[in-house]
Amino acid sequence: MERVKKSMTGFLVPVLSIILAFLIGAIIMLAMGASPARAFGALFKGAFGSAAAIGTTLNKATPLIFTALCACFAYKCGVFNLGGEGQFLIGATAGFCAVHLTGVTSFPGILLCLLTGTLAGDIWGLIPGILKITRGLNEMIISIMMNYVATLFMGVIYTSWCRDAGMPQTASVDESVMLPRVIPNMRFAWAFVPAVVVGLLLYYFLYWTSSGFKLRAVGLNMTASRFNGFPVKTYILTSFIVSGAIAGLGGASDLLGTQYRLINGYGVGYGFDGVAMALIGQLHPIATVVVAIFFAALRVGSTSMQVATKVPTSVSDIIQALVIVFSVAGMALTQLPEFKAFMLRLTSRSSGKKEERKEA
Amino acid sequence: MLGFLSNIIYATVRMAVPLLFISMAELYSERAGMVNIGLEGLAVIGSLCGFLMSFITGSVWIGILCGALVGILINLIYAYATISLCANQIVYGMAINILAPAVASFVYRIYFGDGSSLNQISLMKTISIPGLKNIPLIGPLLFDQTPMVYLAIILVIFTAIFFNRSKAGLNYKAVGEHPKAAATLGIPVIGTKYLACIICGALSGIGGAYLTTCYSTTYTEGIVSGRGFIALAAVIFGRWSSGGILIACLFFGLCDAAQIRLQVSSLSIPYQFFQMIPYLATIIVLALVGSKQAGPKANGNPYRKEER
Repeated sequence: MERVKKSMTGFLVPVLSIILAFLIGAIIMLAMGASPARAFGALFKGAFGSAAAIGTTLNKATPLIFTALCACFAYKCGVFNLGGEGQFLIGATAGFCAVHLTGVTSFPGILLCLLTGTLAGDIWGLIPGILKITRGLNEMIISIMMNYVATLFMGVIYTSWCRDAGMPQTASVDESVMLPRVIPNMRFAWAFVPAVVVGLLLYYFLYWTSSGFKLRAVGLNMTASRFNGFPVKTYILTSFIVSGAIAGLGGASDLLGTQYRLINGYGVGYGFDGVAMALIGQLHPIATVVVAIFFAALRVGSTSMQVATKVPTSVSDIIQALVIVFSVAGMALTQLPEFKAFMLRLTSRSSGKKEERKEA
Repeated sequence: MLGFLSNIIYATVRMAVPLLFISMAELYSERAGMVNIGLEGLAVIGSLCGFLMSFITGSVWIGILCGALVGILINLIYAYATISLCANQIVYGMAINILAPAVASFVYRIYFGDGSSLNQISLMKTISIPGLKNIPLIGPLLFDQTPMVYLAIILVIFTAIFFNRSKAGLNYKAVGEHPKAAATLGIPVIGTKYLACIICGALSGIGGAYLTTCYSTTYTEGIVSGRGFIALAAVIFGRWSSGGILIACLFFGLCDAAQIRLQVSSLSIPYQFFQMIPYLATIIVLALVGSKQAGPKANGNPYRKEER
């Protein structure tokens, strides 16, 4: 019963937050002189209106799922990996260099790209992890600094080392390594499938294996886990490596699935968006995947909304930000002793009424 | 050589000032036990507001003031959620980091449209202090700057005196060290925490506004470029003392100044490698300093009155 109640609040709070955020979005639209009903209609149609639209949404969701799962896994072990963006970009960059410089094509090329990307991502995650367990450094600051380094390093690749003639961008990867679409006339590539598979694997690992249980225990109470003899440092390091690898794999598969080349502005904000989605998804891998798809839909739809109603796409960013502001505050509210007491009084009163009715 | 050196030092001071404001914001926040990693977001919205209001009114001072106000406003959301609702401070700081830039870019698009026309404002004028500015080398460096530099210096001195020499400052610090003990002494813990968030919001807003009113003539997305996070490192590096933070900020300012200088002077190496310097320096400095906990004891913990 207690567990059911807990998962109910875990579900209700984000849903209420989303409704509230959309209400505020509607108020902003009204203030701009647009009709919210029309705008949201256009948004929904743009995201889910046709097979092509759904394909675009799933395509947009792919990189977000990866960075969201990256944040989710690390946070389950009690560490804040804010370096999802850097790990994602270094994965894409390393994957690109691997196929571009060796010239390996078709299936071996795809495999090489994904492997190098994953490896690069986990090295990028390893650095804050090692600094945390050996020097006790704050992993958040280090992983954010690593984001800037990765973005700048990608810049070196596309402006200098692998520049494609005049434009500040690289050439696109060979056609034979581009991932095909899952369903021919829907614009989502095979990169989407590993994203969902990673989500399912994380769910299985975290909730159905004993190491997963221990990892969550470390995340919930590090001191208690240490006294229980869990190798806390190993778990922390592992969580950094795995979450870095997830983001790196994401970068490499997004490169082969949609992006094809490195270019200015690629991946900006993916890391923090991932953190937001993991938090809204209550750090549950499957919920996180769903939330990522939802926000991808919001983004894809907001483009059609802009065309139809002149409401700028950045409204969707504000709505997303408000969802996280409300849901985190909402979860904290339900933990307050005053709130718990209030709920207890409410439920006992209603069950009291039931008893009265029985007597009558 | 002397010219080159004084150029570098001049640039160092200019780059250190925004960092100093933002780091001081974090110091005031953490001294009351509030870890705020939302500084980056606060600085972004501060820089936008500073730019926008200067653009509209033509006065950089109104810009700076509005930067501070909007910083306070946004940080009050953080304050309410973390102090009154006891939400996790780190998580909520992240939420602010996502919310504030989203609002900033929305407001910019609404006001200036999607057009690529360059909107500029004129920067704050420097004010020289007669007499003092004629001292060779350090004269023009310290006494021929924008008023914001003088304000930053005053802030550092005031903070040092406040936290070490005044009763109010000691009470304030007690809230960050041991809130329950502070409460039994009659110190208003909740009030102090809210005050800390107001100061933090204002100072990081000013730090952001400095970037658009004293450093760059226009607002671009990414203008803050991680200064909010480097400020967190500066507070750790500076051991939670205002003098230490000043030194840390000057060091990071020097990295920034050197980076810009090196970019111009050597064209054969991709410029991004030089741009990495401040970020790599942050990692290296933190790795060397290590983590000997010197911060406030109750830093980051929620304060619940009833709990024992």
